[in-house]
Amino acid sequence: MKFKSAACLALILAFALAGVPLLAHHGTGVAYDTEKTVTLKGTVTEWIWANPHCGILFDVTDDKGNVEHWGAELGNPHALSMSGLSKDILKPGDKITISGHLAKSGAPRIVLREFTTADGRTLPEKGHKGNGALLTDEPGQ
Amino acid sequence: MRNRFIDLLAILAMVLAFSAVTFAQTYGTKGYSPGAWKPEELPKDLSKPKPYNSHDFAGVWSSPTKAGYFERHALNDKWLDIKDKSIPDQMRSQTYPPPMTEWAKAKFEATKPSYGPRSVPPGLGNDDVSTCDPMGYPRDLYEANLRPFEIVQASDRVLIHMQYHDIWRTIWTDGRGLPKDADLAWMGYSVGKWDGDTFVIMSTGYDDRTWLDHFGNPHSDQMVLVERWRHPDADTLTLDMTITDPKAYTAPWVGETVTFVRAKAAIFEELCVPSEEEHFNDKIRDAAVGTAKP
Repeated sequence: MKFKSAACLALILAFALAGVPLLAHHGTGVAYDTEKTVTLKGTVTEWIWANPHCGILFDVTDDKGNVEHWGAELGNPHALSMSGLSKDILKPGDKITISGHLAKSGAPRIVLREFTTADGRTLPEKGHKGNGALLTDEPGQ
Repeated sequence: MRNRFIDLLAILAMVLAFSAVTFAQTYGTKGYSPGAWKPEELPKDLSKPKPYNSHDFAGVWSSPTKAGYFERHALNDKWLDIKDKSIPDQMRSQTYPPPMTEWAKAKFEATKPSYGPRSVPPGLGNDDVSTCDPMGYPRDLYEANLRPFEIVQASDRVLIHMQYHDIWRTIWTDGRGLPKDADLAWMGYSVGKWDGDTFVIMSTGYDDRTWLDHFGNPHSDQMVLVERWRHPDADTLTLDMTITDPKAYTAPWVGETVTFVRAKAAIFEELCVPSEEEHFNDKIRDAAVGTAKP
């Protein structure tokens, strides 16, 4: 195997690891369907940076102009701070592309996998789960 | 063949480095607290490590965070061998307490936890921690994989500051015994003394509103904890804990030895703020299960 191919494979593996579904905290895996991922484009209405849980409230407008109010659950600020997030990372009015696992109830709520800001930054940073914890922190392995 | 092996090693090294970089830049910086002082604002010459002393537990400690670490939720919980990955991880852990008394069984069956085989979404549960009631002890200790604790040793007491919910334990070492008729307290009452190189803590007087762990296992106000802490090397603590609670369990609950490692980060403010948790519950958690309007 040539080194160039090996380097490409390493990058592919690294990004694949970053895409591993998050292992949720505080029982969130019970409320959300980890088999169902949605990706939405929306406008932030509130960035909740609080202990012990953070959250993003955002509006999604369909092509008919109907607005649906969505929310995303995140982990605690301590873990999120270690993966590139901060209390200033989002503000109302910001446009984001956001993906996560859908609430089993069908309500417009997700638990976060990642979001991308208008300037192209994807968070949490690679190597971290949606709740900010390191991907290497896999329990039971 | 040799070139292929070297290529595979290179792949592994790059993959590991990719995930390790962020960890080393933040959590590995002594005195660093995310969102507080930046690493460049800290004194350049932070105090050098002290010589190892088996009776000096001072410092910040956490559960190991390397791969293969078992994320603890209770005294003796085990991950069930469930192959079906669609089963949430919160349902794949199970505690193994001693048999419960009828009193404890009734309390246990009334709980709706968010961990273990009986778990429900937090918005449908009745874990009072979800509304910022104190976690109590030893439950708060099980958060140490992500939330470290700090030990401070004074002349007449040992203080343990637990990051999650910003809880302090006071372990009196001035020779007093446990109180005979004290009012119940969320964090109980503790006394400690040395047995050779083992620091033995005895505790009682716990308010029975707290759960023993994330699974809803109860305890009574008669619970007595005995903890045996050791400091076998400069960066390691070990803990053996036994819970004796005849009102709740028909036999003592003997824990497995738990290991903590020295953390290179400072304790971070992590209060549970009732107004913030209420807002989160209303806007996110309860809306997710349909008990609040999205």
